[in-house]
Amino acid sequence: MDYGLRPLGRERLWLWGLLFPTLIGLAFGTIGSLLATLLLSFFSWDLIAPPRWAGLANYIALVENDAYLKAFTNTITFTALYVPGVVIFSLLVAVLLNRKIRGVSLFRTVYFLPTVTSAVATALVWNMFYGKDTGLLNFTLESLGLAPVCWLCRENAMMSVVIVNVWGAIGEGMIIFLAGLTAIPREYYEAATVDGASNLQQFFKITLPLITPSIFFQTLISAINAFQAYDYIYMLTRRGQGDSTVPVAVFSIYRNAFNFFKMGAASAQAIQLALLVALFMGLLFIFERRYVVYE
Amino acid sequence: MKTKLFTLILVACLLLAACGGAATSPAPASATQAPTQPGAGAAPAVEINYMMFGAPEELEVWQKVVDDFHAANPNIKVKVDVSDWDSYWTKLNTLVAGGNPPDAFAMDAPLFLDWQSRGALLNLKPYIDQTPGFLDGFYPQTLKAYELPDGYYGLPRDFQTIVVFYNKEMFDAAGVPYPSPDWTYDDLRQIAKKMTLDKDGDGKIDQYGFYADLWDMELFWSEAIWAFGGEIVSTDHTKTLIGEPNARKAWELIDSMLKDGSIPSPATAGEYGEDLFQSKVAAMAPIGHWAVPGYVGAGIKMGVAPMPVGPSGRATSVNSAGFVVSKDSKNPEAAWEFIKFALSEAGQKRLAELGFALPVLQAVANSPSYLQQSGELDQKLFLDALEYAHMKPVFRGYEEWASVVGDGLAPVWDGAAELNPTLDEVVPQADEILAQNQ
Repeated sequence: MDYGLRPLGRERLWLWGLLFPTLIGLAFGTIGSLLATLLLSFFSWDLIAPPRWAGLANYIALVENDAYLKAFTNTITFTALYVPGVVIFSLLVAVLLNRKIRGVSLFRTVYFLPTVTSAVATALVWNMFYGKDTGLLNFTLESLGLAPVCWLCRENAMMSVVIVNVWGAIGEGMIIFLAGLTAIPREYYEAATVDGASNLQQFFKITLPLITPSIFFQTLISAINAFQAYDYIYMLTRRGQGDSTVPVAVFSIYRNAFNFFKMGAASAQAIQLALLVALFMGLLFIFERRYVVYE
Repeated sequence: MKTKLFTLILVACLLLAACGGAATSPAPASATQAPTQPGAGAAPAVEINYMMFGAPEELEVWQKVVDDFHAANPNIKVKVDVSDWDSYWTKLNTLVAGGNPPDAFAMDAPLFLDWQSRGALLNLKPYIDQTPGFLDGFYPQTLKAYELPDGYYGLPRDFQTIVVFYNKEMFDAAGVPYPSPDWTYDDLRQIAKKMTLDKDGDGKIDQYGFYADLWDMELFWSEAIWAFGGEIVSTDHTKTLIGEPNARKAWELIDSMLKDGSIPSPATAGEYGEDLFQSKVAAMAPIGHWAVPGYVGAGIKMGVAPMPVGPSGRATSVNSAGFVVSKDSKNPEAAWEFIKFALSEAGQKRLAELGFALPVLQAVANSPSYLQQSGELDQKLFLDALEYAHMKPVFRGYEEWASVVGDGLAPVWDGAAELNPTLDEVVPQADEILAQNQ
């Protein structure tokens, strides 16, 4: 089946004409800086003096750098918690909001709001929720007679950060899933109802298989976002001297490049992160071949 | 299949975007511009950029300095750009890496060598030599940070000494006498404990005796280590000495104050915003003059006491902000003229009235411009502190060293790790940074 519209004659000219600015940006901005990063990762450069050839030294140093290994481990842990969180919760919200209920667009807007709100500003508000002695969450817990939790202390910080990130991503995931859900023909459900299938059966036998493309897409997007996650995490866990209780890979890249003047080491870290993302994507595509159903 | 192809392309784009984030063009700063110096007098107007870190209020005062300067030097135009501390360094790095540095910019003394050793700064010696006696009026302690065997690659603009601020209302309410000028670290410990209160009896501390920012050594721990007879790093910058026996005594004092709650842990402190003394949650805080305008604005009735006396005497930290000129500046002469003006008595008087810092010129520091500021503080105490002040350490790799120490000790401050084993772990890591920067 081929749903695509093919450009005809003069349209082809317009097509390339309109794509041109984007392609230029992609070629020089994105691909250019990608190549520059790759090149820099073999040099030692402090931003001021001319770069010096360093061979593989930057890559070898990665293995010995405790701070980087910690950041790298944190990124993996974060991804492992964040991706299922986003997929499950945004699917749940999408299913709940894919019905004819009063004020559905209001609810959809409310869930989408975090996506279009400044992460820095919302993270500051979350800071107020999470405060140990003065926070809203602990105030609520204590008035219910429960013990307060130190949300942003070392032992809980990862979980608290994942919660905020998932919360911030639900809106985007919800849109993807709503699009997938509305594309499922009504007749399937009607037929299933006639045959006496329960709501739960309908969800697992009809809805879930038919939105596997959306689930796949959302998993990809969430994983890429997870590997790059930085803004909420930094705002919630930043400390003096540019430290963070949950340092992640992007944080480490930034800090090495712009606080410690080690562009080479930072580039090597960026390349390693990119390779990891690529590897993960490869794995996902293998899964896709087996489990994703395209109608 | 179309959907799949689309997904593939989309993913490829996002992937590329993922990797592009940290990339910066490697084009090195081409330093080939011929220094076209304006002939004195008849030259057309030149424009120079001066970039600095600071609060927005500081821009206003600097604008006054610039206006005075323009009146005296009609053919030089100065553009001042003020950013907050964090964005300042990011912006500066980007401009310098892009080969487009500001002509003159502000420097923090501990970071000075990091910049100087990369060859980013201009030696000011030839200019200083044109004005004999130019450095005579400076406090010598403030010049030392910028002095190298072959000259000065920067000059101090203003300086800071650390003293202990105390909230008079809190002391009066608790019936505790104010810290006396000859107090010791034992006294500090006692008083801090007495001033740590759970006023509403809910089992939580709601007034802390002593708020000390432990991230930056300048505010408390370097002073304590010196007063207990320890050192921070060796004079040749090869060994970290914060784990030596005398320094450990200072760390133990800090640790015990954190444990009994008289110093809030960094996590607790974070909840109250940046400064617990300003938010009236802490009764005492060691800090510099830069905090005064904020405290006055918050309506705090306060007094100041010198840093306490330790087993090896009294010690405080002196640090300065300075002027440096970019090596690639096209108008170093004009930049120098501006610096010379800002460091003259007229310029320094303006800055003294600002109230953020101490003037580097002794004549101005001892004049009413500095001594008679609003607030009822003993302004002379900040100057007298120079007698027992140590210079905040200046060495290459300072920032990375400080973060290894700060990140390493943070679990101790949070009460999640033991002091001594942590110090044993942190010191070799810090030494490694020093070794990388030899």
